[in-house]
Amino acid sequence: MIATGGHVAVVVGLAATLFAAAAFALAARGDDRGKAALGRRAMIAAFGLAALACIAMVTLLLTHDFSVRYVARNNATTTPPFYSVISLWAALEGSILFWTLLATGWAALVLHRYRDRAPTLMPWVGVTLALVAAFFFAVMAWPGDPFVRITPVGTEGNGPNALLQNHPFMGLHPPLLYLGYTGLAVPFAFGVAALVTRRTDEAWLVIVRRWTLVPWIFLTAGIVAGAWWSYAVLGWGGYWAWDPVENAALLPWLTATAFVHSSMVAERRGALRIWAHALVVATFVLTLVGTFLTRSGVVESVHSFTASAIGPWFAVAIVATLTGALVLLVWRLPDLRDTRPPGGTVSREAAFLFNNVLFLGITFAVLFGTLYPLIVDATSGERISVGAPWFNRVNAPIFVALLFLMGVGPALPWGGARWPTIRERFAFPSLASAALVIGGWAIGLREVAPLVALGLAAFVVTVMGDEVVRGAHARARSRGEDPPTAAWRLATRNRRRYGGYLVHTGVCVMAVAVAVSATLASDVTATLGPGESVRLGAYTVSYDSLVIEPLSDDPRVTETRAELTLSGPQSGSLAPALRDYPNSTTPIATPTVRTAIGEDLYVTLLAYDPANRSVTLHLFVNPLVVWIWVGGVIVALGAAFAVWPEPRRRPLPAAAGA
Amino acid sequence: MSPAPPIDPPVPPRRSRWGVLLGIGVIAAVLAYLALSGMSNALVYYRTPTELLDLGESAIGQSVRLGGLVKPGSVHGPATDLTFVLTDGTNEVTVHSSVAPTTSFREGIGAVVEGEMTTAGVFEATQVIVKHDENYVAPSEGQLPSQVIDPGT
Repeated sequence: MIATGGHVAVVVGLAATLFAAAAFALAARGDDRGKAALGRRAMIAAFGLAALACIAMVTLLLTHDFSVRYVARNNATTTPPFYSVISLWAALEGSILFWTLLATGWAALVLHRYRDRAPTLMPWVGVTLALVAAFFFAVMAWPGDPFVRITPVGTEGNGPNALLQNHPFMGLHPPLLYLGYTGLAVPFAFGVAALVTRRTDEAWLVIVRRWTLVPWIFLTAGIVAGAWWSYAVLGWGGYWAWDPVENAALLPWLTATAFVHSSMVAERRGALRIWAHALVVATFVLTLVGTFLTRSGVVESVHSFTASAIGPWFAVAIVATLTGALVLLVWRLPDLRDTRPPGGTVSREAAFLFNNVLFLGITFAVLFGTLYPLIVDATSGERISVGAPWFNRVNAPIFVALLFLMGVGPALPWGGARWPTIRERFAFPSLASAALVIGGWAIGLREVAPLVALGLAAFVVTVMGDEVVRGAHARARSRGEDPPTAAWRLATRNRRRYGGYLVHTGVCVMAVAVAVSATLASDVTATLGPGESVRLGAYTVSYDSLVIEPLSDDPRVTETRAELTLSGPQSGSLAPALRDYPNSTTPIATPTVRTAIGEDLYVTLLAYDPANRSVTLHLFVNPLVVWIWVGGVIVALGAAFAVWPEPRRRPLPAAAGA
Repeated sequence: MSPAPPIDPPVPPRRSRWGVLLGIGVIAAVLAYLALSGMSNALVYYRTPTELLDLGESAIGQSVRLGGLVKPGSVHGPATDLTFVLTDGTNEVTVHSSVAPTTSFREGIGAVVEGEMTTAGVFEATQVIVKHDENYVAPSEGQLPSQVIDPGT
């Protein structure tokens, strides 16, 4: 009954989105407000229908209705309610259902918000968003139906994927990531609309930059949350492995970030406009590629869903989108010429251009490394994988160059800089940077990566700090405000710039943390009998006893726990465990992480011998890892500050924009 | 508002465009160099015991992921000095590992080991990965387990 209702909601949702697409297309042809309103209502209805289908699925999961295949495969009678609910996105079909909910939600929100503000663009935005949503409904109506029934009906289901029910973070990481992914259809729709209607002036850029940044915040938070999940759950002591699906999330993030930067040049200087359009298209296509890689079974990854029939659907969608967008772009190329001459080699425009080249460089490198095994497999039949060292080797220098530009860019004037300006702006930051590197050397830091990261971070932060102090000072003097008030007003009157600075600060924090944790971590593996202990750095871990018992909230799961006592800079008891889920042949690591400001102690139980009660432990001391998460939060907050709606006020004189 | 940076007279566009293009060229060249020069060392090949033995001497020192079944009765030694035989039904390779595999490692299970062949004819593993597929089917001859999950990812 409920399953049938869910299926009907999907089919009606498909009809509603197709109807919306037709209504918007007619509205675009006839400049007809009434038809546009009709299309908008149909999209809101599609959102409602997707919500109904999701509610149906969650109800089925919570009531353990094993007549539905998705429930039988991903739920068990003993699954705790929280994990039953989040199983909505734990496997292929459900994740597409959830995806559709978010995609139609964004579409309805944007179409509603901008209904009167961009009347020329909106019908085409509507057509694009409706077609994207229709595609996902169609996938659910045919190859990826989440409500398929099975007979005979079992009395017990398979239970959720063991890895996914082992940590509450699974409730956070996928929704954030999906909010980012699905939201990136919005800038694409505006890009298409601007090209079709030839309204390629600055107006669409203002809307699109905002609507790229909003999903960008979620995508960033989703990626960082994913790294955190990997660190907290997988038990290998790291957080990023250049896994194909991690890369799939990173790719649209890279192009979206590049767009956020080049759109500023396009808006302010009328340059890089082809870039801006191409990046919007590329970002959306890469979200589709990401979905394809994750859900078609073409790559082997911790994230891969089971191989399924939806692969060809996505392949066709990717090719169609790419072809259509390229034709549109080439067709409108004459409209996208730069309206002003380019700036000098040492100018802010050039810094933005180099920034974009570097971001595209990383994008190509990551895409190449991710797809290369597929190409080799298709051409020679050899099965290979590209190791993480390759990704690090190629990308580390680019990230270093990006950090450098992050410091240089904001301090360079538009148009071109002369030597005295350069000297005046960069003398102090260069000194600060050198001082920090020498300081790092003096306290015994010998690795290149942390020294470089530290020096560049100091450079970037000083350049920005210098700018903020100067600005606040000037404002305080001219308006008679006290300095903190002046700084706050300066920032809130110029959210984009100072939000951007906050984002850059977060990136600097992350860069230093990544460089330090990647090069200065230490680890040891030891097999201990009861009463024995192992040392790593200043820590001593002694093994007390082995406990094997069922988990209190899910008795089908057996937990094997090594009870340990920790002494050193941090002390107390630790209990890393392995959990045996009935539907998994491999026990799931449940590492213990002790976090301090300076370093994490990370202990994972590798193996145990029930006969002589010995355990094999892997201990890591990971310096500064917590600052990666802190940096991620700063980045998200900075971007949120930048897009925060400003109170309506009279437009300032044209000269005020800096 | 932030203080407007002093506006320098624009540099003539002609000269500047070359500077920018040169910059882009340098970035592209460095990237291409980094990407291509490191590629051959970074590739990890998936092989079956038959494929590995077919390579003979040339397999020595090459970074490989070897997949097969742990031959029943072949596992010897403690967890940190482990010897076992991986088979694909046709050929077998002796594997030595000084890193402990996870608890689910046992005879008859599908496993993938990462490491390299040594001159002694023993495969030295730096990582032992137990197949992580719930619906595991033993690989047929010359075929690899289709879904390998690397614990390092």
